[in-house]
Amino acid sequence: MSKGIVMNCEQAQQHFVDAWTGSLASDEAAALNTHLDSCGSCREEFDRAQLYWNALGALPAPEPGPDLRTAFYGRLSRIEHGAGGERTGWRWLRHPAFQAAAAVLLLAAGLGLGRYTGSREDERLADLRKEVNDMRQLVALSLLQQQSAAERLQGVSWAYRVEQSNSEVLTALLHTLNADPNVNVRLAAVDALRNFSVAPEARAGLVNALPRQNSPLVQIAILDQLVDLRDRSSVPSVALLMHEPGVSPEVRERAEWAVKRLQ
Amino acid sequence: MERVRQGELAGLAALFERHHRPLFQYFNHLCGNPDLSRDLVQEVFFRMLKYKDSFQAGGSFPAWMYQIARHTHVDTMRKRRFEVIPGGADSPFPEPASREESADDRLSRRQQTELLRRALNRLPPEKREVLVLSRFQNLRYEQIAEILDCEVGTVKVRVFRAVRALGEIYSELARQRAC
Repeated sequence: MSKGIVMNCEQAQQHFVDAWTGSLASDEAAALNTHLDSCGSCREEFDRAQLYWNALGALPAPEPGPDLRTAFYGRLSRIEHGAGGERTGWRWLRHPAFQAAAAVLLLAAGLGLGRYTGSREDERLADLRKEVNDMRQLVALSLLQQQSAAERLQGVSWAYRVEQSNSEVLTALLHTLNADPNVNVRLAAVDALRNFSVAPEARAGLVNALPRQNSPLVQIAILDQLVDLRDRSSVPSVALLMHEPGVSPEVRERAEWAVKRLQ
Repeated sequence: MERVRQGELAGLAALFERHHRPLFQYFNHLCGNPDLSRDLVQEVFFRMLKYKDSFQAGGSFPAWMYQIARHTHVDTMRKRRFEVIPGGADSPFPEPASREESADDRLSRRQQTELLRRALNRLPPEKREVLVLSRFQNLRYEQIAEILDCEVGTVKVRVFRAVRALGEIYSELARQRAC
């Protein structure tokens, strides 16, 4: 029962959408049903409009594609570096003569003021660098999780721009190397890991990834990387790989070559 | 948003990652042009940076964001009112395929979807907007009311009227196709 709530046509129409989305309170739902049972035109409107409401929900959702992200971060990066790229009425600022004169003036002013404000500027610069690095990390991590292989490749290329000490990006790259279904993305991850080679985890991650790979291309890329890094600690693992059943002849040959080079 | 208010650009990147898809869909449903929609999405985020101080702590972020989005859309359309913007009624749209469907069913569904999209594009802008906000953006009525600067009850009635108008346009288009 409707617990005494009585609706007219206009009040009933206010509740139609709530009824379609199932967000009506029970007493309101009961009152609406009572009204619909007694008002043929509202019932007809309710049922017909509900069809369109449901159909709208089934419309496919468009995707923005990778261009939007690239354009956004490009513009953000310009702002970060102070260029903005937004003004068009100040072109004389870009004239080389003006820029050279400005550079000299700024250098002189900088030398004069630098000794007084040096430490404060250093702090600001450090903050700015950290902010930029945080942003790059966010972009890299976000892109590495995308469904499209093209976007994950972009994520790998962003990984080059973060500091070598960034463990979150290193972990994400190693995860990509071990789990990404796309060979090109995994190959790019091997290359990007070179940027982190000072970290023992990066080298260990490369070695551990060797037997897990199902692509000879990726295995050969890892072997080449280990040789380039002169990672002698990897010799036992590479030697083991040579004797693993199912390893392709090309990989076995490259592993033999790698062991010789590393010894 | 707090980080953006304090001038952290990384905060803007985080907001972008969270909200750029629904914003793109909002604009694409409004103007039917993916290229223009991408430009508008970017513009919204840089306006957020510019007008960051207008966001009130504790306020609804989606409501604030969509208010900026509305103004961005209106401003852009005003500037480009003499241009012919491609897209809209005839814009192609990817549709999910279903393996169980026969070719006839698929064709029929595609035609219905296309008719519905054309009907949506023919709705008057204010009706289209309230429908897009309520049906595609997962916003609460309170948030839509804040965005449109009206009462919650008014939003509910407007949504219903927009759906009804959509149905009328759809029926008209279907009749034209049958003739």
